[in-house]
Amino acid sequence: MTLLEFENVRGGYAEVDILNGISLSLRQGEILTVAGTNGAGKSTLAKAAVGLLPRVTGRIVFEGDDLVPLPTEARIARGIGYVPQVSNVFGSLSILENLQVVVGVKDQARRIGELFEAFPVLAERKRARAGSLSGGERQQLAFARALMTRPRLMILDEPTAALSPAKVADAFDLIARLPSLGVSVLVVEQRARQSLAISDRGCILDGGQVALAGDAKILLADERAAELYLGQAIHA
Amino acid sequence: MFYAQLLVNGIVQGLVIGLAALSITLVFGIARFPNAATGDFMTFGAFSALTAHQATGSILFGGLGAIVATGLVSLLAYWAVFRRLADRSVVALLVASIGIGFLLRAVLGVVFGHGQQVFQVPLTRPYVFNGIRVMPLDLQLAAVAALALALVFSLLYLTPIGRQMRAVADNRDLARVSGIRPGRVMVALWLVAGGVAGVAGMMLGIKTIVTPEFGWEMLLPAFTAAILGGIGSPVGAVAAGLILGVAQELSTPFVGFTYKIALAFIIMLAVLLLRPRGLFGQLEGAR
Repeated sequence: MTLLEFENVRGGYAEVDILNGISLSLRQGEILTVAGTNGAGKSTLAKAAVGLLPRVTGRIVFEGDDLVPLPTEARIARGIGYVPQVSNVFGSLSILENLQVVVGVKDQARRIGELFEAFPVLAERKRARAGSLSGGERQQLAFARALMTRPRLMILDEPTAALSPAKVADAFDLIARLPSLGVSVLVVEQRARQSLAISDRGCILDGGQVALAGDAKILLADERAAELYLGQAIHA
Repeated sequence: MFYAQLLVNGIVQGLVIGLAALSITLVFGIARFPNAATGDFMTFGAFSALTAHQATGSILFGGLGAIVATGLVSLLAYWAVFRRLADRSVVALLVASIGIGFLLRAVLGVVFGHGQQVFQVPLTRPYVFNGIRVMPLDLQLAAVAALALALVFSLLYLTPIGRQMRAVADNRDLARVSGIRPGRVMVALWLVAGGVAGVAGMMLGIKTIVTPEFGWEMLLPAFTAAILGGIGSPVGAVAAGLILGVAQELSTPFVGFTYKIALAFIIMLAVLLLRPRGLFGQLEGAR
């Protein structure tokens, strides 16, 4: 069953279109990687889905409803979680406050307890300012904040970009676990190979359009995708 | 002993400046522009308190009148003007706030006249502590200011709407993807910023004389304290207000009453040149 569908989505900032007619779908329970070169429109697509792009045309359908007319907070209330690439925690608030500040959470105290169990390092430092956290801890808090509302879809914008190489594998392990918790995932990633390895399907953007899309394993094996978009040729 | 006396006077003056600076820093941190109407909100608060005091004879009701009336005027300014200009540049919002200040001043001049008005408070004997004279009224005003600060900081740090206000100040987009409705936060902001400015205006009015221009004249010290404290830092604004109030009073024997305001200007220039983030602020401000 289709959970999220982009239908001929165009948009950008000011006068210039960055997305040039993207059609793409995400099924319930799957992980979809969106890859592509710098400037291809990956992060812009994620922002369009959560309403942070000033100008969007086309339809972005989530569970049957078009999101485009809705403000960001209404999209979040419908069951979407979003982790931005940068500035993904409230640095001046404590870890606990980062979770408490999320609106629309039923039984907030219990939910925070569940997330502290899932991310014990956050529980240990719950009174610490989020701005004092390491890159890996910060990423865990960003995930926990987005998971507060028990979303059915998580949109992750370059979740490994600010991580040390040692923490990248941890982040992908965490993403791979999300479907087992009932959360589908749209992940925008520069580390396309590693992301496709944990994904069901993949999509490669080029110039604001879908250049390639399909099963993740097939994309990983595709020589043209490997040479043009995935950083190295298969046989290199 | 003379300087200890000036110190006490400076603390009361500093609380007035600190409250005004708190109003400025809250608006700057969350709505992201310097609200030049803050001084005139103070004036409105002073006249509201004066009216309520004349009607009831109670300073307490005067204070409540100042908080409620100025909070509502501040909210009206947001609803009628600032909300519509939210996507415009900082300069556009600054100019709009100057315009609102002029409008408020003109309306107060028409309604109350441009003569000097004073709070009729009973004469009392000062308390004397080791030779330092402290007027009971100053203690009451300090208590009012402390209560107002306690309420604002409790709101900011202990309530959901306060956390949301701080979250919007920290990162507006992240606040939105956390489900926070910016409109709700803005209503709370303008009510609080107006109420705080109203209390500051009432305190200043009781200590001095009330005219339609007197709040405007407090704008420079208030902005100086907001900058010195680190723009966007509520704690910094209050601390810097106290520092500035005491510094102004202690400078009086050297520069005279008339020129002590110049000290605020010198401090503001020094902070901008030497430590633009202020004492408590971060480089990007708005925390």
